[in-house]
Amino acid sequence: MGGTINWRHLLLWAVFLGGMALLPQLVSKGTLRTFIFANYLAIFAMSWDVLSGRTGYISFGHPFLIGIGAYTTAILSYRFDVPVGVSIPLAVITTMAAGTLFFLPALRVKGTYFALVTLAFMELMYQLVQVIRPDLTGGTRGISGVQTLTRGAVNGYYLSLVLMGTIAVSLWAMMKTRMGTALSAIGMNEEAVEGLGLNTTKLKLFAFMVGAGVAGIGGAFYVHYLGSIAPRALFDINFLFTIIVAALIGGASTIIGPMAGAFFLTFLLEYLRPILPGAERYFIYGGIALVLYMYQPKGIYEVIRQAHFKLAGSARHEHNP
Amino acid sequence: MTFLEIDQLSAFYGQAQSLHDVSFNVDQGDIVAVIGTNGAGKSTLMDSIMGMVKNTGAIRLEGQDLVGRNSADIVKMGVGYAPERAHLFPFMSVEDNLMVGGYTARDDIGRNLAHVHELFPVLKDRATQETATQSGGERQMVSLGRALMTSPRLLLVDEPTIGLSPKVCSEIAATLKRLNEEDGLTILITEQNINFAMSLAKKVFVLETGHIRVSGTPEELMADKELNKAYFGT
Repeated sequence: MGGTINWRHLLLWAVFLGGMALLPQLVSKGTLRTFIFANYLAIFAMSWDVLSGRTGYISFGHPFLIGIGAYTTAILSYRFDVPVGVSIPLAVITTMAAGTLFFLPALRVKGTYFALVTLAFMELMYQLVQVIRPDLTGGTRGISGVQTLTRGAVNGYYLSLVLMGTIAVSLWAMMKTRMGTALSAIGMNEEAVEGLGLNTTKLKLFAFMVGAGVAGIGGAFYVHYLGSIAPRALFDINFLFTIIVAALIGGASTIIGPMAGAFFLTFLLEYLRPILPGAERYFIYGGIALVLYMYQPKGIYEVIRQAHFKLAGSARHEHNP
Repeated sequence: MTFLEIDQLSAFYGQAQSLHDVSFNVDQGDIVAVIGTNGAGKSTLMDSIMGMVKNTGAIRLEGQDLVGRNSADIVKMGVGYAPERAHLFPFMSVEDNLMVGGYTARDDIGRNLAHVHELFPVLKDRATQETATQSGGERQMVSLGRALMTSPRLLLVDEPTIGLSPKVCSEIAATLKRLNEEDGLTILITEQNINFAMSLAKKVFVLETGHIRVSGTPEELMADKELNKAYFGT
C-alpha cells in the first residue's frame, strides 16, 4: 500500500532485475522466449491492476486498450512507413485517449455493469477492425511483416526486461505516493474517499490514463516483437482472462503480485503444453486459481509474505528461546 | 452565532424522499445531536450536508451555501465527516487510512497527525495494523481521526456508538467533549443512543421518518413524557 520509498526495497528491485539480467547466461533460448512472453504478460497485468485492481473498476475489456496500442503502431509503421520511434509514442498517446473513452462508463456504472460495458468495448473493437478499412487493419487476417525492433531471443528478452523493469519500478514509486494510496482507497470504499473531500473523478481518470498508457506501451512493443497482429489473437477472451488471472493469482493492488502471477501462468501454460496441447490447459490454471483464491484470496504475493513473516518469527524465536 | 444553518432541507434517493423540509441551526462551538431510529433519515442528513445526496432547500456554513457544491469543496470549506460504521479502508494500515484523510489538508498533515495520536495514542501504537483486524472501538477512533485529518471546523459524526461497548462509548464521548472544549470544534452528531447524545449535546433534535418532530435542550427533552415513552418506554 502506501508508505515511503525505502532503500531496502530499491535494493531488492535492483537485485531482482539484476538477477533477471543474468538469465540469458543461464537458460536456453527457448526458455528465454517464454520469459519474453512472461515479461509482456507482466506489463499487461500491471496495467490492468492500476486500472482495475486499485480502483475496483473491474475491466473486462483490457485487450481493447492493448489492441489500440498495437494496431496504431502497426498501421503507422507498416502502412505509412512512419518510423517506429514516432509510431510507438503516437500509439501510446492514442491508447491514453482511448483510456479516457473507457473511463466514461465509470462515471455512471460500477461493478458488473462496468465489467460488461468494457467487455462490449473489446467485442466492438474486434468487429470494427474486421469491417472498417480492412485495407489498413488487414481485416480478419491482420497484419504480418510488421517491423521488429530486435533480432534473436537475447535482445528481445533484454528489451522486454527493460520495459517491464522500468514500468514496474515507476508504478511501484507512484503507488508509494499519496495519490497511490488514494487510488487503493477508492477500490475499498469510494464513497468514504468522496466524503473525505477527494475528487474521485480526477483520481479515477488518472488511474485509467496510466493503466491505458502502460497497456499502450506493452501492446506497441509486443506487436513489434511478434512482427504480426491478428484480431482473434488479441481481442480474445482467453487473452483477457490470462491477464486478469495473472493479476489476481499474483496479488491484485500490488506490483510484485501481477508480475509473479504472469510468470507463474506463462510457465504453467508452457509446461502443460506437451501434456495438454489444447484449450484444456486453461482448466488446469482455472483450477489452480480457484484453490488459491479459496486458500488465500490476496494471491501468491500474500502467501510469500505470510511465509516470510513465519520464517522471520521462528528465526527470532530460535534466537530468543 | 449561527455556524451551520439548515433551512427547508429535503433529500431524495431517486423518487424516494428521505428528508422533508428539515430546518435547524448549529451555533459555533456547540455540540448538537440529531436523534432518531433506523430509517429516520440521520445518515441522509449527514450525506446531504456533505453534498453526497440530491437535495433541495438550503444548507449554509457561515452564510455560504453548500447545496450544489461537491464534497471536495465542502471539505475544503471546513466540514469533516466520520460516517456511520466507520467506512474505513479495511486492507490499509491505520496510518494510510489517516493519510487519505489528510489528502486535502496537505500543509497540516504533521500537526493533525500529532493531534490525532495525542487524542488516540493506540492509533500511534498500531500505525501499521490493517484496520480490518481492529476492534470496533479502534475502528471508530480511526474514523474520527481520519475526519480530523481534514482540518475541520465543523465535525459531522454519524452514529459513533453503533455496536460499541458502554466503556468505549464513554471514551468516544470524552474525546468529542475534549475536541469541543479544548479545540473549539463545532460538532453535529446523529445517534440512536439517546443517553450518549443527551450527555454530550447542548441542543437535541428528534428526527422521525424524515421530519424534525421535537427539539430542545437535553433537560427539556428529558422532561417530555411523550418522548420518554417513545424512546425509553417509561
